[in-house]
Amino acid sequence: MSSKLRSGKLLLGLYALLVVGLPLAGLGYALLGSVGVVGPLAAGFTGRYWLALGADTGLLKSALFSLWVAGASLGLSVAAALGLVLGAQATLRRRPFPTLLYVPLLMPSLVMGFYLFQLLSRAGWLSRLSFQLGLTHSLDAFPELVQDAAGGGIILAQVLLAFPFLTLLFQAIYQESRLDDYRQLTQTLGASAAQFRWRVAVPVLLRRAAPALLLSGIATLGAYDLPLLLGRPYPQMLSVYIATRLQRFDLRELPAAYLAGFLVAVGLLGLILVLIRLTRRHAF
Amino acid sequence: MSQLLTVAHLTKSFGPQPVLRDISFSLAAGQVLGVLGRSGCGKTTLLKILAGLETPDAGNVLLHEQDLLPVPPNERQMVYLYQEPLLFPHLNVFENVAFGLRIRKVPKAEADRQVTELLDELDLREHAQKAPHQLSGGQRQRVSFGRALIIRPRLLLLDEPFGNLDAQTRADMQQLFLHVSQQHHITSIFVTHDSREALTVGTQFAYLDRGELTSFATVHEFIADPRTNIQAELAFWENVQQNALLKKER
Repeated sequence: MSSKLRSGKLLLGLYALLVVGLPLAGLGYALLGSVGVVGPLAAGFTGRYWLALGADTGLLKSALFSLWVAGASLGLSVAAALGLVLGAQATLRRRPFPTLLYVPLLMPSLVMGFYLFQLLSRAGWLSRLSFQLGLTHSLDAFPELVQDAAGGGIILAQVLLAFPFLTLLFQAIYQESRLDDYRQLTQTLGASAAQFRWRVAVPVLLRRAAPALLLSGIATLGAYDLPLLLGRPYPQMLSVYIATRLQRFDLRELPAAYLAGFLVAVGLLGLILVLIRLTRRHAF
Repeated sequence: MSQLLTVAHLTKSFGPQPVLRDISFSLAAGQVLGVLGRSGCGKTTLLKILAGLETPDAGNVLLHEQDLLPVPPNERQMVYLYQEPLLFPHLNVFENVAFGLRIRKVPKAEADRQVTELLDELDLREHAQKAPHQLSGGQRQRVSFGRALIIRPRLLLLDEPFGNLDAQTRADMQQLFLHVSQQHHITSIFVTHDSREALTVGTQFAYLDRGELTSFATVHEFIADPRTNIQAELAFWENVQQNALLKKER
């Protein structure tokens, strides 16, 4: 075997180890930890942490809350980006608008979260301004816009971060797919502007952007810093829920945290596989 | 013969650059106006003005003696066909052809019947469930035709529709266009840079050069005009033939 071929195989092996081996090893460790085989207080195989799952609704609620936040964030971001690309083409092409869309992309999510906290919390700028203007009689009377039960603050932050990216993505697809030519063609076929948008532009844009939308949704589902800063202690998003359990002082809690981590990772992998199949089936 | 379309003194400039200069012509129902023109002669602008996708600076466009300019493009029933078929990538062949009927909310059973008939006529029935990317160039152009024909357009505007096809497919498509035009009594303006194509598909002829349109009363005048280059081409082929004969005699 030539040395070139050998070094190529070695490189491939290292790459496979990095992208598949290490995550699988982590997943395996979490699985073993959840059945009491590994971990600081491991005392041999036990199924009690799995059995206790039925009585603990925390993980399920956390998963549902995360799905709600990810779905709402993605839905609102997509709607805003589609609205801009399909309703304001002329503005989107006019400077400095395209450049302005890049600004939120340069901002770390933690900075966005901190900024929103400063702006929207009850002790924040808007609350103080509204108190000074006499719109609210005390700072506590200001509505809960962050750290609220519905996760509104997290959703707002995710939308502010995602929609400029999605706008740029949709705009690139709009131009590459020649949707302006399609618009003119459908007009001569008798379609109204709304019919062009709903029957041609939206399906084309969503199908071509499906892989990026999928990744964006999964990133939101697994987000940590924004939910930590802008979310409540209950309900928590999945990453915060798992991290909180892993960091507790009581080491006996660790297997349950491993179990939660394992289930979330497997669930996300399953979701990714299903969605990849769906997007491939509808790809063109 | 009553005129379907009358264009009078049409003018259009983009900035200081005149694109169409005082263009006038008329077209009777069922006729095909073959317009010969090189790249950048203003043919796309002319077709887009007729389709309602561009506005002229001056001039009139009348359809059955009625002013067409205030009518929006989606109410003109005049389909503009690009050089590329521009099939909807998310729809299969059947739904591409059905598009015009679906947006007009034609009852499903009736729409399906019309589409099936047209697919048969265009020899596309077996491809009905295929996606556009599974078709050849010629098949795509046929679907594009079908999508336009299904709404029974009052005028078909073709902007070098076979420009991207190979010679044999192009010849097949020209014959198909002739057949379908006669069958459905379609009135059309067919713009091309190929004189042979203009002669094959046209029943009336015009030459467009730097925004100026010359209409010809007969095909002989069209052939005789040196700007169309047809005489030169004929002379070239005759020369080739004579040389071949001389070589054979030797």
